[in-house]
Amino acid sequence: MKSVKRFSLSLVFGLLAAVLMVSGAWAAEAVIGFTGPLSGPGSGYGRDNVNGLKMAVQDINAKGGIIIDGEKYTFKLETYDDMIDPTAAVNNARRMRSRAGARVIFNPVFNTIAPLMQVNEQPGSEFLLMAYSSTPKIDQMDNDLTASIPPPFTAYVKAFSDMAWEKGWRKAAMVVTLGAYGDEWRETFRHHWTELGGEITADKPANYYTDTDFSSQLSAALATDPDFLLIGGPSEPTGLVIEQARNLGFEGGFVLVDQAKMDYIANVVFDCDLSLMNNVIGIAQVLDVPSPVVKEFNKRYQEEFGVHNTFEAMLNYSALNIVFDAMQEAGTVEDPKAIKAAMAKVLPQSEENVPTPYLGTRETKLLVPATAGVIADGDYAEAYQYIWWPGDEKSFEKYKEMAPSGIETRWISLEGYNK
Amino acid sequence: MELFLQQVFNGIMFGSTYAIVALGLTLVMGILNIPNFAHGHLYMLGGYLLYYFGVTMGLGYWFGLIFSVICLGLVGVLMERFIYRPLNNQPHINAFIAAIGALLFLEALALVVWGPQGLRVPNPHPQIVHFLGMTIGIQRLLVIMGAVALIMALHLFMKKTIMGTTIEAVAQNREGAMLTGINVNRVSAMTFAISAATAAVAASLISPIFMLSPAMGAILGMKAFVIVILGGMGSIPGAILGGYILGLIEALGGGYISAAYKDVFAFGALILILSIKPTGLFGKREV
Amino acid sequence: MFTKPVHTRLLYAAILIAALALPWYVPDAYIFQIVTMSLIFAIAVSAMNLIIGFTGQASLAHGAFFGIGAYGVAIMTKAGISFWLALPAAALIAAFIGFFVGLPSLRTRGSYFAIVTLCFGVILWIVAGNWIELTGGHNGIFGIPRPSPIPVPVVGPIEFFTQTPLYYLALAALLLTIFVLRRLVFSVFGLSLMAVRNNEPLADAVGINPFATKLISFVIANFIAGLAGGMYAAIIGAVSPSAAGYMMTFNFLIYLILGGMATLSGPVVGAFAIPIIMEFMQFLGDFRMLIFGALLVFVIIYFPQGFVGGLRQLNQKVAAWRQQ
Repeated sequence: MKSVKRFSLSLVFGLLAAVLMVSGAWAAEAVIGFTGPLSGPGSGYGRDNVNGLKMAVQDINAKGGIIIDGEKYTFKLETYDDMIDPTAAVNNARRMRSRAGARVIFNPVFNTIAPLMQVNEQPGSEFLLMAYSSTPKIDQMDNDLTASIPPPFTAYVKAFSDMAWEKGWRKAAMVVTLGAYGDEWRETFRHHWTELGGEITADKPANYYTDTDFSSQLSAALATDPDFLLIGGPSEPTGLVIEQARNLGFEGGFVLVDQAKMDYIANVVFDCDLSLMNNVIGIAQVLDVPSPVVKEFNKRYQEEFGVHNTFEAMLNYSALNIVFDAMQEAGTVEDPKAIKAAMAKVLPQSEENVPTPYLGTRETKLLVPATAGVIADGDYAEAYQYIWWPGDEKSFEKYKEMAPSGIETRWISLEGYNK
Repeated sequence: MELFLQQVFNGIMFGSTYAIVALGLTLVMGILNIPNFAHGHLYMLGGYLLYYFGVTMGLGYWFGLIFSVICLGLVGVLMERFIYRPLNNQPHINAFIAAIGALLFLEALALVVWGPQGLRVPNPHPQIVHFLGMTIGIQRLLVIMGAVALIMALHLFMKKTIMGTTIEAVAQNREGAMLTGINVNRVSAMTFAISAATAAVAASLISPIFMLSPAMGAILGMKAFVIVILGGMGSIPGAILGGYILGLIEALGGGYISAAYKDVFAFGALILILSIKPTGLFGKREV
Repeated sequence: MFTKPVHTRLLYAAILIAALALPWYVPDAYIFQIVTMSLIFAIAVSAMNLIIGFTGQASLAHGAFFGIGAYGVAIMTKAGISFWLALPAAALIAAFIGFFVGLPSLRTRGSYFAIVTLCFGVILWIVAGNWIELTGGHNGIFGIPRPSPIPVPVVGPIEFFTQTPLYYLALAALLLTIFVLRRLVFSVFGLSLMAVRNNEPLADAVGINPFATKLISFVIANFIAGLAGGMYAAIIGAVSPSAAGYMMTFNFLIYLILGGMATLSGPVVGAFAIPIIMEFMQFLGDFRMLIFGALLVFVIIYFPQGFVGGLRQLNQKVAAWRQQ
């Protein structure tokens, strides 16, 4: 009857209306967006990314924001959880773009970066995708509105291999995490290590995200008598791997993939006790980064977030600062293409402003040196800064000048980037 | 040879965990006919409760374990009363949905209360012994011994005590049991409490060796289901045997063949067995 | 019994018109995206309804077949095959695999069948994540091309680079699916499905072959799921193992049950209402899943027939009152 028809109709349109009402008011400030894993297995990693962005937004707002054509812009960070699901990531990005007007969106996982790259160039809803992912595949994809933040993991593969080779290690056994990142790392490392002349004695990957017992893989790997183990995935389980390997009697060295951070492991898993971590090669501890602001950044970070500082936070912080400077330079907070084009002009960054200053751009890739370190004899014994993008000696010298001093700077020539 | 023994030891240790968890699940599935898909998440909660009582409240490992078991037993009772009992007369699939809802809730709860990063319960027995070329952690040995003790205790309970035989009576014939004056609701509550408590024991034994995380129960819950079906719903020997078989398949398959496909072996074995015997190894019930 | 009262038919007509006109009044790209995705999910959930709601067999492998369709289209279109060929091909592959999965597993009943299908789903998910040469491993397959343009004689080719044509594609597919399912369900075959669901031994006694009936229903459901998956791949542009995972199956199941099982509109309602509610709840942050889980339990206990089921009861009461 009429009332029921009205009831049913109004129910349907009521649902539609509820959806329309969800549309928030357009933000008056400029919005920076983030979609990534904030719950579930990748959540620690997502949180580290977000913290860096939060600090950058706080700091720029404390300085009074940026001024374009006499008008002041402050910034707001909007974060959404996508649980590494492509559909959710695209939904979140569209939401931030359409509702909040975000023209710059950060995402830290390749599985969600790829679908975002399918939509970020659509006319009418463009946004600059700031991709935090060290897989080189990103730089091979054809997208004019993407910038990738961290050094490619291939740079670390080369750097760590060279360092391991220097120590006289020749036989490697791999117990790396399963997953796209781990698979790629293993492949690349195997290729590189055997090219150098070394030997891979075992390849026993494990799922660092769900398992926490690695005894079966470690037993199998150690049975082949390696000089060192290539291990890693997220930092906490990596710490367990080190502990379990030592418990099985292993006395050799470890090389950590770039996802695992040795200082995080030492401080969080082993309570600052480095005794089990003898002969560990990996990304340097954050305090070994040569810029003068690192110590203060570290302290502030620890106080504000209560968790250990990581490169994820620092690189995102620095990258977002590039965005702010580019917006100022381009004179717009709304045109992603102009912002991207202006990035090259505002680089290199100064080591007085950001903990990990970027030195340039190359198409999609933002260029920052890769820092590697060694723990030996109970202390952080060595640290090196690797510049991985120059194709020749002269270019290397130029960038070495620009890079922060106070640390031994080395050159590796990386395929795909060395122009 | 040492490698083989080491893998066998690992397999038995995992098998013990699986056996305890599957045991709790088979009680609930066989006796109450409730597909408690959230069982793995109860296990996860047990681990976190151990952390809370043992570490945060500073009561130490063993008291932490006891309180975790009691607490989780209560959670089990609440779950049965407020989630599954109202769904008694509805099709199974609705209970499944309710389980999914409970599972999402528990995982989100762990995330909100304890955060996303992995937490460690300090290992009360970190010593190691070497035996026949194997490296044996004392805590790992404890897991195996704890499982055996629990299984024996449960067996005695089911056969020798009145409550235990009452549960078996309800399992065999619910209406008949009601006719003889047994309070079926109380039995349901008790069964669920035991089921949850066993999950807490398993989690507490294993937690010092591994890390706690909100997602740690998900895959385990599914494997527990696999084991219960494999062994036959409601069959305690089936659950135990199935648990150890699964533990060994995973350790040996994972160590010798491929770690990536480790879980495939387990699930594949199930499909194979069910194609041959559709009611499971020891199963007697037609659902 | 099979005809609808007037006010319901008017309602459906109104919704259809609103749907056809959507691109004109949709407020932004965000809502447009959600609606298009819901259309795809509605197709998949309607198929799930066939095997679970109408045939009574709790298949938990649905996400896996959705994934097979998605990966099928992804692999084929990246290899250069036209989307319009790849889509039915991928769906056929899903149906084919469904046939071979159904043969052993449909011998089991109830919870056993649910677990076997769940296991199959998990196995497929693990394989998708590890068979790097075929599926790209955990990275998945990205850069999937949009459907190739359809040449239309006078007006010019229909291209698929913006949201609007993709929306209409999904809408057309959903309407087609509902039409086909309607014919199926209201036929003799449909009656035999429900007979098997309600009382299998009795159905067997009156001459229906329960195994064959279940198998056919399973294969059809998986074919449609494959279709939905294939379209998902083309629209999102990148597939990863999450498209074939058990969370996908659970999501479908939730949409189905909360929408209303064994009704044709239930899956559609569920596939729209739940994602919208979930998006709406984004502001809750970490508490979102907490509240959603609790809500799910509450709704399933007190509203087991789902939204449409509840509406239907209301309808019947009103129709009865109307007759007085």
